[in-house]
Amino acid sequence: MSEGVENNQELERRLRSVLGAVDPGEGFAPRVMARVAAGAADTARPARAGAVASWLAFGLAASVVLAFLLAHEWQARRLEQGREARRQLIEALRVTDEKLDLAYRAVNTREGGAPPEHSGV
Amino acid sequence: MKASSAKWRWLLVPVGLVASAALAAPAAPLNLPDFDALAAKATESVNISLDTSLLGLAAGFLDPSNPDDAATKELIAGLKGIYVRSYTFDGGFAYPSAQVDQVRKQLAAPGWQRLVQTNSTRDRTRVDIYVSVDRGLANGLAIIASEPRQFTIVNIVGSIDLAKLHRLEGKFGVPKLDLPPESRDGKPGK
Repeated sequence: MSEGVENNQELERRLRSVLGAVDPGEGFAPRVMARVAAGAADTARPARAGAVASWLAFGLAASVVLAFLLAHEWQARRLEQGREARRQLIEALRVTDEKLDLAYRAVNTREGGAPPEHSGV
Repeated sequence: MKASSAKWRWLLVPVGLVASAALAAPAAPLNLPDFDALAAKATESVNISLDTSLLGLAAGFLDPSNPDDAATKELIAGLKGIYVRSYTFDGGFAYPSAQVDQVRKQLAAPGWQRLVQTNSTRDRTRVDIYVSVDRGLANGLAIIASEPRQFTIVNIVGSIDLAKLHRLEGKFGVPKLDLPPESRDGKPGK
């Protein structure tokens, strides 16, 4: 019985010696803070790189969309200008032909219907 | 249509106003005066200025598979510009003599020749047609037409085949004139 008590005491003593408070020495706190800071930097670097990549992707996508919209706008304007130019061309040719006909009829009336073979030019 | 285009020969033959004029340098466009006062009184105005780039743009919108468009494209191939000012009025109007004199002065310059002048007191219509000739080749056309209710100036820069233009008659709203059959053949009407 007394042997068992002695064993317990021995175990307790060993535990106390192992788990007892140990002086960390001078500079412990600054060392801990330095480690913490270093660890934070290591974890922040990949996060920042990810954010930059995200912004780059967003910027690229926005540029592509903007370029597409500008190209579409330019093409629509060009189409409108082309249609208007075509309309004006046909109108100009119509007016020209109408006035040439007017001259033709006037010459025909004046000369008894005979178109001038030579106008003196 | 082929026969009707023959009536333009009287205009074409004297100056050889055909596509071969492509060799001649195009005439400079006329400096058309400001007709703002006339436009303000007009019930209808046509103000068209098609320079080389706009003609090219318009040509790009002509469908080559469409015969009428193809003919128009061929017609304008040698052109450097088309400028039209036309004003229509409800009642009588004062002939803008000052502005027209400015144009006539330009047409009096060497290189321009008056091809046709018609003046009908009965119809109160006057039409003058001028051509610009360079080394014997026509490279420009100008028309000044004054009618009782309409005043028109046309300036075409470059070579134009008037017979081809006339073949477009009845297309695109180019009026098809109801001329007597003998006139349409280019033969004497009486």
